[in-house]
Amino acid sequence: MTLTPTRPTREHDLASPLVTVLTDRCAGCQECIVRCPTGALAMDSARWVAVADQALCVGCRQCVRTCPFSAIAVAGPLLVTERIALHTTSPAVVEGDLGETRQGIVGWEDALAEASRCLDCPDPTCVRGCPTHNDIPSFVRALSARDLDEAHRVLRRTSVLPDVCSRVCDQAVQCEGSCSWSLAGGRPVAIGALERFITEQAPVPPPSLPAGGGPGTGLDVAVVGAGPAGIAAAWQLAEAGAHVTVFEKAGTPGGLLGWGIPDFTLPSAVAERPWEQLRAAGVELVCETPVSPEDVERLLGEHDAVLLAHGAGIPVTPPIPGVDLDGVEDASSFLERAHAALTTGSRLADLDAAGAARSISGKNGPGAGGSGAVVLVLGAGNTAMDVARSARRLGARAVCIDWMDARFAPVRPDELEEARTEGVEVRFASTVVGLDGEDGRVTLARIARTRQEQADRRPEILAGTTEAVEVDRVVLAMGYRLDTSMSTGRQDVPFKKTVEEYPDRRTVASGILASSSPEFARHQPVGRLSLARESARVAAAFPRGTRVWVAGDALVGPSTVVEAMAQGKRAAAAILEHQPRRPGGVRRSPGHVVVVADSLGGHTRSVADTIAEVVGTTGATVEVCRLQDATRAVLARADLLVVGTWTEGLVVARVGPSSATKEWLAALPPLAGTRAVVFCTYGVSPKDTLAVMRRALEDRGAEVVASGAFGPGKLAQRAEDFARGLRSKLWPGPGASRGASEPTMRAVER
Amino acid sequence: MTTLTEDEPAVAPPPPGRQPAGAVADPVAVAVHLRPAHRRGMDEHFAPTDPARSLDVARHPMVARLLRNRRFQFLLILPNQIVFWAVILLGLLGTVVPGLNFGTAITWYLWFCLVFVMMVVVGRAWCAMCPFGGFGEWIQRRALWQRTQKALGLGRKLPEPIAQYGFLISVGSFLLLTWIEETFNIAGPGAPHSTSWMVVGIVASALVFFLAFERRTFCRYVCPLSALIGTVGAMGSVAGFRTRDRDVCVACETKECMRGSTSGYACPWYTWPGSADSNLTCGLCTECYKSCPSDNIGLYLQKPMTSVVAPSRRRFDVAWAVSVLWGLVVFQQVNATNVYASADTWLNTHLHLRYPDPLDYAGIIAAIALLMGGIVWVAQRALARKDAPVPTGGTSYLDRTSRFRMFFVPLMYGLIPVVGADFFARQLPKFFKHVPRLVPAIGAWWGAGSTRSSLYGYHLLANPRIVTVQVAVIALGTLAAVSTSWKIAGRDLAGISSRPLAVKLTAAGLALACGVAASVLYVIMHAAS
Repeated sequence: MTLTPTRPTREHDLASPLVTVLTDRCAGCQECIVRCPTGALAMDSARWVAVADQALCVGCRQCVRTCPFSAIAVAGPLLVTERIALHTTSPAVVEGDLGETRQGIVGWEDALAEASRCLDCPDPTCVRGCPTHNDIPSFVRALSARDLDEAHRVLRRTSVLPDVCSRVCDQAVQCEGSCSWSLAGGRPVAIGALERFITEQAPVPPPSLPAGGGPGTGLDVAVVGAGPAGIAAAWQLAEAGAHVTVFEKAGTPGGLLGWGIPDFTLPSAVAERPWEQLRAAGVELVCETPVSPEDVERLLGEHDAVLLAHGAGIPVTPPIPGVDLDGVEDASSFLERAHAALTTGSRLADLDAAGAARSISGKNGPGAGGSGAVVLVLGAGNTAMDVARSARRLGARAVCIDWMDARFAPVRPDELEEARTEGVEVRFASTVVGLDGEDGRVTLARIARTRQEQADRRPEILAGTTEAVEVDRVVLAMGYRLDTSMSTGRQDVPFKKTVEEYPDRRTVASGILASSSPEFARHQPVGRLSLARESARVAAAFPRGTRVWVAGDALVGPSTVVEAMAQGKRAAAAILEHQPRRPGGVRRSPGHVVVVADSLGGHTRSVADTIAEVVGTTGATVEVCRLQDATRAVLARADLLVVGTWTEGLVVARVGPSSATKEWLAALPPLAGTRAVVFCTYGVSPKDTLAVMRRALEDRGAEVVASGAFGPGKLAQRAEDFARGLRSKLWPGPGASRGASEPTMRAVER
Repeated sequence: MTTLTEDEPAVAPPPPGRQPAGAVADPVAVAVHLRPAHRRGMDEHFAPTDPARSLDVARHPMVARLLRNRRFQFLLILPNQIVFWAVILLGLLGTVVPGLNFGTAITWYLWFCLVFVMMVVVGRAWCAMCPFGGFGEWIQRRALWQRTQKALGLGRKLPEPIAQYGFLISVGSFLLLTWIEETFNIAGPGAPHSTSWMVVGIVASALVFFLAFERRTFCRYVCPLSALIGTVGAMGSVAGFRTRDRDVCVACETKECMRGSTSGYACPWYTWPGSADSNLTCGLCTECYKSCPSDNIGLYLQKPMTSVVAPSRRRFDVAWAVSVLWGLVVFQQVNATNVYASADTWLNTHLHLRYPDPLDYAGIIAAIALLMGGIVWVAQRALARKDAPVPTGGTSYLDRTSRFRMFFVPLMYGLIPVVGADFFARQLPKFFKHVPRLVPAIGAWWGAGSTRSSLYGYHLLANPRIVTVQVAVIALGTLAAVSTSWKIAGRDLAGISSRPLAVKLTAAGLALACGVAASVLYVIMHAAS
């Protein structure tokens, strides 16, 4: 083993990476060693510091990102082969073209070469960057071994839409932006292309139904919405043996996959694949059936659980005169009809006759169109590009305008380039200030210039820069918002994706946050983005009403396919975990108990431990944790939540739960229908400590089934009596009295 | 690492206290497959320095509550903060009589002596309550005691080319500060405002470093007292915060003690309780104790001298720090002799400088430090086994290896008690003679004290009794140093020496010689005064 020189020479002089361990600060904690992809780091047992084998280092800087004391530095180049070139084909004649533009990897040779660039990192940051946490190194490893079945098995753990996601995901700010190479300043493994290659070489397997019954057997779940979140949830529930009925307001399932993403990005055959397989697996699909908020109550009477995954379909409308003119419509309406028109060989002129329902004005009169007609698209995001490119294929001239400066606009560079190549005119720093029409139909758009100095500043409209542009059709592609009538009364909906002040400690340890803005990821803070997405995935596990879960755009507002899928999957897992039952059904005993205790001198903790021990005899899984460890991810597992605190206060004044407990209770996630127990330990009097805790839990929808206050004296005995009473109440039956001589509820108030 | 998947049952139990079996798996955890941590030789490496479990005072519930309390360190710092802002203000605004000014009186008659008592008995006790670092840290954290997540300042790391010299940076700043102190007769004590400006200077430079760098970079690398407290503090009986079960620490994938958690900050001193083998860099700030999610950190006591004798990971910077600090304290003794006075006067006349001539200041310190190096060099030439291999090292200052280093480092560690005793003895006259002046100095604050007060002229002890106490302190230090040198030489040097007994005798003899030299110098100093 070669020990490390301390003073690296100038970086550009180095032909290979040079690792420097600063032994003054190296504590020998081995965080770098356990995460080094190549095993280039080891321990010097005599000095108990890390040492580097320079010959094995490839320069990925994973050690630099993970060292807690900044005691390691790497200089020099990245030893990695060139990333494969992925091609985008532009149709020679755009009009009428239905072909997919982005090409996948063509042959095994290229696929294997690209797969060999993967470092198979022990703590893969790409997995954290993927919204659904695909085990990327594992499927790449399987691909390298040409084991496509295994690759699909790995993907299936976390994804039911690998063929879709590999085409529509913005990998640059997700998995590929979080790749070790990317975080080190290089070009990442082409993860999306490899995933697509797998699905192209071997078809995505259908749901595997449990032969002898699964964890969902006997469960009857209604899913509202047949988009990505609904697909993922239905898939997971069906595979667990549950009976699933999916309600879809449109005539065909798929949601955004069906009408929202054009064929040149997502071919119909790929978009339709999930529902073909789900229907074959016995998932009941009820189309053309909109579900109103009132209907949800009815569904709850007929099903054990309801998952709302209806999306966020209300288009954002600019506050300008003329948006109610004919010829002004929202993007989803346009895309839906454009898709239908293109598959039947129609052109823009035929669009209005195609009979779609949703224009802003509701009046789809026969309008101008055809070759040379101008379609003005408001917005320059993903959807706007899809609209403009579809319009081009329908024979129109397409102009996208976005009021943000080109430097700050959230547009994918690859999509922008593809659109421009196909003849779409994209103007940034421009906005429409009004639309004019003749005979009720839009003919003219007044467009003004804007100025935006910084990314987080709102663009300002420049006076005197307005120009009039003749248009034949205006499509609003400025985004969508959630239908608030569906979320009324639901706790924390829409959910705002957040990054905790103190982020998940494992994510911190992985080093993904240490390199906040890789160039490949368009300088986006990929670590923080992944944490924000994860907060929504965890949020999908919590019921937003008794037996009601919400996932996808319906939960967080407009988002991405992969996030919706991940949330749908998580919500389905929560339903399977908690096993809700409709009224009249047999409610099962809690299978997972989370005991949270804030203990000062150890008394509260000892009561918590006693409860855990007694409840554990029922076979339930019991988890005892401190307040700071009782994160949302932990609470999501709880069928029964036991919360205990020491009593703070000055004997009789300001007596109540400890400040930390109060803070924790105030930040509780929705717990609709979750059973809860509260207890406290006290010196003189608990006063209304229990009532405060009960109120906080009930405010979040929990059902408090027992509470107990434990004063000085005979603590152990009283705690055991309380726990036994709890056990006999919540785990009725012969097994419940195991180890208990005489169950009692003396200490239990209710 | 959790081995659950969403579709498969658990195949192995997760680590205790992390994720329960049967839970819906975190799909990320499924994909994580960390390399196994290195454990070979771990137990043997740490066995000599791991304190006994029974010496963990944090096992006591009351102590645990105290350490867990976020206000604990704040309440330690607060009184000192008040005192030292009073020192600044009263030094500038109070009486110009040094003995009657509260600022000078408390700083030089009491505080500096107490700091030595704390370092000899505890270790970095002063660092836990230091108002200079404490002030910078409050600003850096934007909080007095709360855990905040966003630090103020640039949060830089001390660059590696500088950081590789470890405690020598602190030694350098101590030498500089002492030279300034000697030049302006700050600690004499001289004019009270000098003491004020010195404190202001320390607070300001601390603040600059706290705002430019992360954590306690100032305390760890730059603080003038850091190297002194770190080395002399090795004699102390507090081992600091250490792991209770090293396996738990090694298996911990998150290291909140190093990275911080919601309950506590990341270790400000760059110390991992999982591998701490001395109290050298434990600032006793309790943050790791608060952060640990596994309640796996204890506050341990240890037998005196353990951190001198036991560590196997010895540092070259600490060895030079010991020899340079020894040079400094000897200079401070020599400069009170008539011979020095004559030489300094002659030199100053010819160089047109004033006391302390930087040449003889640096020269004497360097000469003594190099003399120690020279003695070791001769000893290793005479006693080293020629076939003993020199371990492979790195190229950084701390990592390089040589036969000289193999002898120099352990021998200098062995001298720590006598160096510490000498520094301590050096502070005793001011304490014994003048600490009663604190009472009239506090009175003077309110206009009540004066130099006519009987306490102003009262001495707890007077010469020659003070010299007797000084020599006694040196004798104790020498005894300890002879013992530590003997043990260290027996463990670290006997195996690589051609004559094991001779090397042990040499080590003990060196310690004895240092002790005798220091004692003789005190007698000469007394005679000179």
